[in-house]
Amino acid sequence: MRTTRTVLQNFRNHVDTEVEWAPHMNVITGHNGAGKTNLIDAIHYLCMSRSFVASSDRYVVNQDAPYFTIKGHFEGNIRSSFDVTCSYSRGEGKKIFVNESPLDRLSDLIGMIPVVVLAPEDKKLTSEGPKERRSFIDSLISQISPAYLKDLLDFRKVRRQRNTLLQEYRGPREVIIEYLEPWNAQLIEYGSRIVAKRTEVLHQFQEYLAKQYELISGMQHKPHLEYQTFCEPSEDIQEIKARYVRALEKAQDNELEREITTVGPHRDEIVFYLDDFELRKFGSQGQHRLFALSLKLAQLFYFSEQLDDLPIFLLDDVFGDLDAQRTEVLLQALIEHAGQTFITSASPVPFDQFMNFDGEKNREYTVDKGMVTAL
Amino acid sequence: MQGTSEILEQAIEQLAKLPGTGRKSARRIALYLLKQQDENVMRLADALVNLKKSITRCSVCGVISDNDPCSICTNPKRDQSKICVVEESQDVFLIEKTNEFRGRYHVLGGVISPLDNIGPDDVRISELMQRINDEKQPIDEVILALNPDSEGEATAYYLNKLLKPFDEVEVTRIAYGIPMGSELEFIDEATLSRAFATRNTF
Ligand SMILES: [Zn+2]
Repeated sequence: MRTTRTVLQNFRNHVDTEVEWAPHMNVITGHNGAGKTNLIDAIHYLCMSRSFVASSDRYVVNQDAPYFTIKGHFEGNIRSSFDVTCSYSRGEGKKIFVNESPLDRLSDLIGMIPVVVLAPEDKKLTSEGPKERRSFIDSLISQISPAYLKDLLDFRKVRRQRNTLLQEYRGPREVIIEYLEPWNAQLIEYGSRIVAKRTEVLHQFQEYLAKQYELISGMQHKPHLEYQTFCEPSEDIQEIKARYVRALEKAQDNELEREITTVGPHRDEIVFYLDDFELRKFGSQGQHRLFALSLKLAQLFYFSEQLDDLPIFLLDDVFGDLDAQRTEVLLQALIEHAGQTFITSASPVPFDQFMNFDGEKNREYTVDKGMVTAL
Repeated sequence: MQGTSEILEQAIEQLAKLPGTGRKSARRIALYLLKQQDENVMRLADALVNLKKSITRCSVCGVISDNDPCSICTNPKRDQSKICVVEESQDVFLIEKTNEFRGRYHVLGGVISPLDNIGPDDVRISELMQRINDEKQPIDEVILALNPDSEGEATAYYLNKLLKPFDEVEVTRIAYGIPMGSELEFIDEATLSRAFATRNTF
């Protein structure tokens, strides 16, 4: 999958920007605040319907404008040529159009243009709470399985309904238990499918991770991830369902007292290990950084094998933190294996030692105050 | 805000509440109405007031109707032993268009949704159970034609459980040959018609 052109209007500091992209490597340099990240964030919007930097669309609109629009042209193996437009205004909210026709739901976009992002925020993946790791695995699976995304959305909806019932209902215990039943049935249905799929994908993902960590760290440590859910993980949905029923029964008193859903994949944890020690507790800064990098490279290779197309790879400001040797290893891996890749960097990295910026296959850009120049 | 009319803004606000209408189209409708002749706008206003004031619901099935009981409930040619349960009256109109179903209806007037503060007692479930319990008109099939979303599913589950003790009543649900997550009202007639023909036991 690749994008040939991106047009931005009032997107952060890009008032009116149009860029033509090269099919392989696109390297974007500029000062901090010049608008490099905004360019690749715009591409991310067209793939995932949201920013990978900002928590809300509001922050992304140019401060002097009431709306933003991003438009991109894409070419791929599955769908050969199409346009995606994302528009947002404070009054009307966000809309996505594929070939000018609006999508019913923003989530319908996910998976159409597979994308992998590596950004400074990724250090949260290994150092912060389980929420970051759940959203990593959810973003990974959702892009290859629309059914998984549907299960996630349904599960979230059912959990909200169920939590509201637990919080708001004032009446006899046997009545709320009866009222909970229809929601329990759906919670178990969607939740079990989520757990089975996470088990399956994380199991496959292990070897991709091990390979990339070895490549990028050159070290003897072996990475490993452990999936923890409310029961023993399994790829068998029926088995999970039976375990979910029992776990929910066991938790009933606690749930009624705390007025919240306590059992389900929304509480899952993925623990990262290097050999036998837990990364989050004992890892060094450098190990965290390399682990996050390996996770994203593993995602890139996993997608490449699962899909009939290579994903778009966005690397935001990651080369500044790497030493010369790692830079070379990473660049070589990208040149040999990655599809269309976008790299932003504040300081010039000696990229031309490794690739030829002929303007055909690879291209360099500079950004200054929202103005993009192709070199 | 300067340079605008408060009356116009109020009209836009009311119009924007209508389903499928954003602020932009609400403004367009308001400005369109301003340009029309007085009597045309009055006719629209009267129709809207009448809609709310004069229309009645059938006391048996709950469908919006000019008469009570409605023409479906009083039609002797319709199969009295089959009840199709739907969320809203508009679902009845849709299913009627397919000509696939010759029984009677029961409009719940909503689905179970704690987020909207709607419990089983807030929709017409007890009225349905009364009809099932009525010995003068035995029911042998209840067809659940609810939307395939979480709330529709929860309501179907709840109804199925209530109906289980009735051995003589078969509970079926329409099969959806439809895109997942679609609302009933967005499904074309042909699909809905086929879904009815291939309904299966809950
Ligand atoms: Zn009636």
